[in-house]
Amino acid sequence: MRVEYINPFVESAFNVMKEVLQGDIKRGELYLKATSMPVMGVAAIVGLAGDVEGRVLFDMEKVTALRIASAMNGEELKSLDDLAKATITELANMITAQAVTKLHELGFRFDLTPPAIFTGDNMEISNQNVEALIVPMETGHGKVEINVAIRERA
Amino acid sequence: MKTKEDFPSINERKPEGLSPEGTPFRVLIVDDSMFVAKQIAQILGSEGYDVVGQAADGLQGLERYKELYPNVDLVTMDITMPNMDGITALQKIIEFDKNAKVIMISALGKQDLVKQALLTGAKNYIVKPLDRKKVLERISQVLKK
Repeated sequence: MRVEYINPFVESAFNVMKEVLQGDIKRGELYLKATSMPVMGVAAIVGLAGDVEGRVLFDMEKVTALRIASAMNGEELKSLDDLAKATITELANMITAQAVTKLHELGFRFDLTPPAIFTGDNMEISNQNVEALIVPMETGHGKVEINVAIRERA
Repeated sequence: MKTKEDFPSINERKPEGLSPEGTPFRVLIVDDSMFVAKQIAQILGSEGYDVVGQAADGLQGLERYKELYPNVDLVTMDITMPNMDGITALQKIIEFDKNAKVIMISALGKQDLVKQALLTGAKNYIVKPLDRKKVLERISQVLKK
């Protein structure tokens, strides 16, 4: 996978999270995974299809998801209810939409699927024939990993 | 005695959600994201606007508009929604009431759709993430026209 695909996602994640969480966001070291890997308790996924295909996964601990959702709603959310899930979904939506705008400017054409959210323990994600690039982002509310797997269409 | 005029207060400001007659502007929120709908309702509520209805897709939004009409002043309309998207709903609302004031709510990256909405008759648009100031500014602009 080409690194140029992931940069727009990292940039827009940085911008959007900084704006909606109003705090410092730190970017961790990028790493590559070719096989299956564990997923933290909450994962929002957005699919990409067009000139390139793949998916972007925003992956975090449940407690981080709750803290982020609480911050975005301006109130303390006690459980990962429909509102909390809608909030995390919307965060994924905003980040992906902004990244895709940048990729469109670079000449890549593709569409997004509506985001879906998965919650549970001991989840794992496997990518067949496409490696994933992962960028951990440290927010004031905990770590969010941005996991991008994209390939050009054959 | 005109106390107010004699001592103008810089802190006193009429909430933007009130019409010149002093009644609240009535808003219908159409958005499939519970989070975004709540966010808009909170921002508008804090300025005195009256959220008279919410709908989770374009079809529901159109139906709610017809039910509320003429007791609705403004609609905020998401673009990407199930059942009926925001642009189709906008089109149908304008067919029903050519003076309808509809503001589109969009994620960045949907410029073509926003353009299409403006050509169809949307009065303005707001790009997410929603910022309180931006939302209030755009909405009061549309209501002043």
